[in-house]
Amino acid sequence: MFRILKELWKFRSLVSALVIRHLRARYRGSVLGFLWSFLNPLCLILVYALVFKYYIRFQEVENYTVFMLSGLLPWIWFSSGILDATSSISSGGSLITKAIFPPHVLPTVAVLTNMANFLLSLPLLVSLMIFYNIHLSIYILYIPVLLLIQIFFMLGLSFIFSSLNVYVRDIQHIMSNIFSLLFFLCPIVYPADKVPAQFSFTLSLNPISRLIINYQKVIINGVSPDFKDLLILASISFVTFGIGCLVFNKFRDQFAESI
Amino acid sequence: MPKISTGKNPSGSIELKNVTKTFKIGSSGPKTYSTLKSTLIGLIKKGTVAPKVVSKENIRQKLILNDISFKVEPGTSYALVGRNGSGKSTILKLISGIYAPDSGQITVEGSVSALIELGAGFHPDFSGRENIMLGGIMFGLTKKQVEDRFDQIVEYSELEDVIDQPVRTYSSGMYMRLGFSLAIHTDPDILLVDEVLAVGDAHFIKKCHDSISEFRRRGKTLIFVTHDLSSVSRWCDKAVWLDKGHIRSIGTPKEIADAYLSDIADQENLTNKENIAKQELTRDQRSIIGNGNLDKKHRWGDNKIEITKVQLLDQTKEEKAVFFDNESLIIKVSFKFHTEVSDLVFGIGIIRADGLEIFGTNSSFIPEIDSAISNNIVSKNIEDLNKVRLIEIKIPRISLSEGSYFVDVAAHAHSGLPYDYHHQIYKFQVRTKDRSVGIISPNIEWNISNLNSGEQN
Repeated sequence: MFRILKELWKFRSLVSALVIRHLRARYRGSVLGFLWSFLNPLCLILVYALVFKYYIRFQEVENYTVFMLSGLLPWIWFSSGILDATSSISSGGSLITKAIFPPHVLPTVAVLTNMANFLLSLPLLVSLMIFYNIHLSIYILYIPVLLLIQIFFMLGLSFIFSSLNVYVRDIQHIMSNIFSLLFFLCPIVYPADKVPAQFSFTLSLNPISRLIINYQKVIINGVSPDFKDLLILASISFVTFGIGCLVFNKFRDQFAESI
Repeated sequence: MPKISTGKNPSGSIELKNVTKTFKIGSSGPKTYSTLKSTLIGLIKKGTVAPKVVSKENIRQKLILNDISFKVEPGTSYALVGRNGSGKSTILKLISGIYAPDSGQITVEGSVSALIELGAGFHPDFSGRENIMLGGIMFGLTKKQVEDRFDQIVEYSELEDVIDQPVRTYSSGMYMRLGFSLAIHTDPDILLVDEVLAVGDAHFIKKCHDSISEFRRRGKTLIFVTHDLSSVSRWCDKAVWLDKGHIRSIGTPKEIADAYLSDIADQENLTNKENIAKQELTRDQRSIIGNGNLDKKHRWGDNKIEITKVQLLDQTKEEKAVFFDNESLIIKVSFKFHTEVSDLVFGIGIIRADGLEIFGTNSSFIPEIDSAISNNIVSKNIEDLNKVRLIEIKIPRISLSEGSYFVDVAAHAHSGLPYDYHHQIYKFQVRTKDRSVGIISPNIEWNISNLNSGEQN
């Protein structure tokens, strides 16, 4: 685990250069460019708001649109980050097979690129909050803690899935299906307290929904995060990262000849 | 990177000890990965339907490198030569840490840059400029270092005009120039180059050559895979000859190039012998079917005399298809009479594969031979028509430059009327050990005994 952290630190300028390259590649050639960082979640939120606020009349939540966005943005980071990372090694091509290249850089770049996208879309959230006249509380300072927990949790998962996907390519397809189901099991379009007690395990057993609940707490509810939650989440992400490194190290020597 | 650095060897040295590497069969193809479906089907079949399905333990392993050991001292350059599939590139990938060995130990000291494939690691949609930045960082430089060397890299690669265009628009030569320029400017302790230089033009190859010489002078190490044997002696101190995953021998470039060339010649002789056998068959069939109405393009004549067999032999009377320029060529002609003939001349010709006539001669030009043929063969033994007779023509030293040649053989009358003319049927190849140019390769001698004698004019 420390070996991987050490190597990632050693190649930090490579990681950051690649993240920038990916961000630029993503919008290269599109007329609106970086605006898509806002437009993508905005389109989603418009449809969701239309459906849940006006069709289903899910009116009990104050400032429903902002509430949804505060959970949706970390979710988009999580799901697209893991999906990108899962196929990053198997589609790494000549970087893996023909060049001297530290392979764990690729899933890391996928996670960080999507994080950058997440950060870039935060102005959208802030402007909506200003529009709806919601005040930012001091607890927003907990966001970096949540980010850190999410980064290591995602890195761990990315290392596991990206190395397994080299051998069993179904994983990337399974993941995209799981994520579209998982989306509705996370309290994003509905608040956590609307879940009936007998089903609340769907939230408590799911680290990502606990993470989202705490994002919502500090951003929109303006309350302190649940410290017990933070502690559990931090341990989960630490353990996941450790397991991810173990799995990755076990398989990395064979990547070049298996792709 | 899975290389073990002990620190006891000096920087720039490479040591391989008993390195063995196997690949799973088919492991380089697109079907190496299993899908869940195939795994499940395999499980079901194994469990119930077909217990004979190949289990994981039975997957065949292909031995790529077997017990490879050699040591490279800092500041030397090694060439890896060998036929396709002999494991040269695999060794480079093991040294660079892209592959891990199955067993054995690889010790690499110092920083390594590798040019294993054109444009490996380049992003096609990004400009040369962006790729230099990323590539430099990938080779282990800091951003600042790449920025400092950026102008040098561009100038060296001579890509100033296109440096801001996406590299997908580059030609393979431009890819190579960018890759080589980047690799040489990252100033590694060890540079691994796999055949990519072949796409450069003469001007840039000269430049590469100079940089590599300079690189070697500074005590850096070069490992270099090649099929171009002439470059082996120019660029390398030592050569390693790999054959099917084994080290066949290690030696000076000259020794290895000679041994390797003559081995290839032997191999070609072996395969060509089979082809000759096939040719023989079709030719026989042709003459049977033809029966006087011969294939006009390669064979003509009135068939009064039939040339039944032509063999190309060397001085040891061994039948060959590939000769060195200093060997003898013996053309052994078997023939028989179909009717009585009293007027007979044998002719031979050597024609280069592109149609250039190298020379042609016949037995009537030499009076003793001419009369001997008339007296001995034609008149005395004529009663036994179907007896196979032989005549041999020897060229003591082939003295041709490298290439493919045909031998024409003919039996004809003094008037030129052909009995049996075989045109461009028998093929042989010539190899030379040096790189002299032209049509012929005579045995020349240099006299250098008076270099310092100072004779006054």
